[in-house]
Amino acid sequence: MPDRSNGYSVIGKRQPKLDGPLKTTGRSQFTDDIALPGMLYGKIVRSPVARGRIISIDTGKAERLAGVKAVITYQDCPGLMVGPDEQLLCREFVNYIGAEVAAVAAVDEDTAAEAAELISVEYEKLEAVFSLEKALAEGAPVICEGRKNNCADEFEIDVGDVDKAFSEAEHVRVDEYKLNHNHNCYAEHHVVVADHSLPGKLSVWTPNQSPLFVQKGLAALLGFSVSDVRIFNLNTGGSFSSRGGPRNHHYIAALLSRKAMRPVKIFCAADEEFLMPRDSGEHKYTVKIGVMKNGKLKAIEVVSLFDCGAHWNSILTGVFRGFSNVLAMNYRYDAMRRLGKIVYTNNPPNIGHHGGEIRQLNLVAEAELDLIAQDIGIDPLALRYQNAWEQGDTTIAGVHYGSCGLKECMEKAAKSSGWKKKQGKLPPYKGIGIGCGGIFSGGKSGMKDHDTGSAMVRIGEDGKIFLDIGFSDMGQGSHTTMAMIAAETLGIAAGDVTVIAGDTNLVPYDVTGSSQRGTFVVGNAVKAACLDARNQLAEGASKKLGVAAAQLVFRDRKVFPRKTPAKAISFQSVVSSLLHSDEGRHVMGRGFYNSPTKSREIWVSSLAFSFGAQIAEVEVNPETGVVKLIRMTVAHDVGRVINPLGMEGQLDSQVFGGMGQLLTEECIMEKGLILNPSPLDYKLPRPFEVPEVERIFVESNDPDGPFGAKEGGEGPIVCTVAIANAVSNAVGYPIKEYPITPERVLHALREKENKQETKA
Amino acid sequence: MKSIITLNVNGEVHEIAVNPWRTLVDVLREDLKLTGTKRACEQGACGVCTVIMDGKAILSCLALAVDCAGHSITTIESLGSSDGLHPLQQSFIDNGAVQCGFCTPGVIMTAKALLDENPNPDDTAIKEALAGTYCRCTGHIKTVEAVKKAVQAGREVK
Repeated sequence: MPDRSNGYSVIGKRQPKLDGPLKTTGRSQFTDDIALPGMLYGKIVRSPVARGRIISIDTGKAERLAGVKAVITYQDCPGLMVGPDEQLLCREFVNYIGAEVAAVAAVDEDTAAEAAELISVEYEKLEAVFSLEKALAEGAPVICEGRKNNCADEFEIDVGDVDKAFSEAEHVRVDEYKLNHNHNCYAEHHVVVADHSLPGKLSVWTPNQSPLFVQKGLAALLGFSVSDVRIFNLNTGGSFSSRGGPRNHHYIAALLSRKAMRPVKIFCAADEEFLMPRDSGEHKYTVKIGVMKNGKLKAIEVVSLFDCGAHWNSILTGVFRGFSNVLAMNYRYDAMRRLGKIVYTNNPPNIGHHGGEIRQLNLVAEAELDLIAQDIGIDPLALRYQNAWEQGDTTIAGVHYGSCGLKECMEKAAKSSGWKKKQGKLPPYKGIGIGCGGIFSGGKSGMKDHDTGSAMVRIGEDGKIFLDIGFSDMGQGSHTTMAMIAAETLGIAAGDVTVIAGDTNLVPYDVTGSSQRGTFVVGNAVKAACLDARNQLAEGASKKLGVAAAQLVFRDRKVFPRKTPAKAISFQSVVSSLLHSDEGRHVMGRGFYNSPTKSREIWVSSLAFSFGAQIAEVEVNPETGVVKLIRMTVAHDVGRVINPLGMEGQLDSQVFGGMGQLLTEECIMEKGLILNPSPLDYKLPRPFEVPEVERIFVESNDPDGPFGAKEGGEGPIVCTVAIANAVSNAVGYPIKEYPITPERVLHALREKENKQETKA
Repeated sequence: MKSIITLNVNGEVHEIAVNPWRTLVDVLREDLKLTGTKRACEQGACGVCTVIMDGKAILSCLALAVDCAGHSITTIESLGSSDGLHPLQQSFIDNGAVQCGFCTPGVIMTAKALLDENPNPDDTAIKEALAGTYCRCTGHIKTVEAVKKAVQAGREVK
């Protein structure tokens, strides 16, 4: 029986993923499963030096090796700039270990690997810099020509009278934080198949979250009209914010294919996976918060330094500026200031990771808030609650909250975790911490002036439907969510919907599978398309039933007059009668959605924001420094839960991701080289380390969301800062460097001891 | 030089010519077109290529195809039929244990090897068995739950 507790027949039901049978049987295709006739295998030659001048490249031996069909260097793509400061395939300089210098295509992977080794590149090593301090120091080598002091970008954003707010504050505190390098570690490695064997056409198979960006990037740089580049985005084995656009291996595969006139596959092996530009470089933050003694928050200022590695890209500019409003998203500060400087080093470039800059910025702001609470003697949860925004508020950043369940999340998480009984009352080395956060559900920014998602629905004669969407499902379950939204709108079952996606030749326009826009933006587009189809069906049914179309209800595969449900006729019969009529109408619906917010210059503007509060409970071993994460209470305001089963998985996933980023995951860097380039050494949490997770959904019913829904795919990871705060609470000393590895816990314990001795 | 080997995969016997350095995962995927077994790290670190050989879960990226001759190999393709899925597959779907799906075949084969050997594993045994497979999406919560539920369902059937 359908669950009618929320008045819906599909929304809110536990819907197993519609692609579950394909994925559990191994039938779902990933890019590496593609084998085209005549396909060659590519291998990239990467720089072993962190900074150097290329003296010579000799490809002769590789070209003469039997089975080699193409070799390319910068000479095959002169002037092809893949970023403001990056030529595809290095010409004169290499700036990081792993930079692409040449590539080969051969009849099999072994031959390609052998040929790559036969390419001899002579380098003159140059002085390199690997830390923010050295890069910014006077007289440091200039990594990118024309960028003084290695500064890639610099910005300041002020909202309100920041100096006045700080001067009025009765207590001001400043602390410094450091975040270290980490890596995305996708289950599916970077892989691409490119086929440019036909003139004027390029087909590319690759895991990604934004087919349109990949398509447009390849078209622009390789000289195609966008529609002549076809992107197949079959399934994507993890994405986590950093598969949002074209990457160098995509261009390289296309160029190899152009030269060899055959399809080319490039699969990045494990060692390469860690050489590829990755998540996140070193961040340093100086956080300043001013507060009144009664707990009223006055102002926040965050100064950040970010190591972007050897190359800078404009997406990061958008990310850094655009996400600054996170600082004013949760609490009623009078003013906020964000200063940022992005710095070149000879580390691998950074792309972004799950939660990205939002998670990191929120992490340091929320950690600082705990210290402020301690200073003025207020419970950290009470301090947050007292200052939290509410529904109907317009923040100092000018954002209006049509829905906001932040306070309800805090209330529910506190109650369920027993916060009051535990906070400040736990035995030594046991800790409890809170973290709150919010994030936008899609939006416009410097990166994109529109946020359009679209959908088409085709109603089959048997009453089942095909839903065509350009939005990617990287595992988050969006396609199932979209099927549920379609089913609810048309009054059929989710299982009646087949989602068609993953091929840009077949699907309508969609900007990107990022910025948490799926449920809110694409969901609204799907709803619009289905309403278009429903209106056509209602017209037909209205004639059959003799009632006005507006009086008809579509539900449980039936159509009936609102007041006389007994007169119901089947959905399928309505479809059929329209088709088998003089008009012969095949019902198709179309819709698109672009939220009616204005694109702002400085940051992301969105119509809906999600909020959350999480409470973490930990135990620290004072001998080893190992942190055991015991329990996470996760409350998240997602507006409306479309699919509880999927949403639970999203919460689990983000607790896991946040836990890794905060406790264990770190690339150990030495002179631009990652010393732990394997999941054996790069520490991801294992099943027995994962805590018990209590999941609480808060449904604030957003006025603009489809059925009230908003994002749930990245907000929860932003709130996992609770884990860091719980560890500081357990240790009894603030830890300001992440991830909080056992070494850093022991270091904090030692510092605490020293401080106590000094006091005594 | 290539050797001719006989591989028994999912009850079917294949005669294949392979170079001695080729791994089982490559031969399964490329020669036999059994692409349900995925490849990723190729260094025994991630577990996505897990298959069952003579009842034990093995990493097919670390096994040389020539060494597998004469052994009985089971891959994800042998689980379930057009009439219905294997209880583990169904449990993974029903309990939301599938996200991106890339590691899913490896996780299911690991779980199957565990249940074949120990039909009533406790939580610790399940978590330890699944610790060798790397899942970035599910946080190992619903995967563990799916195995537990499959065990419970199995008991009820009996």
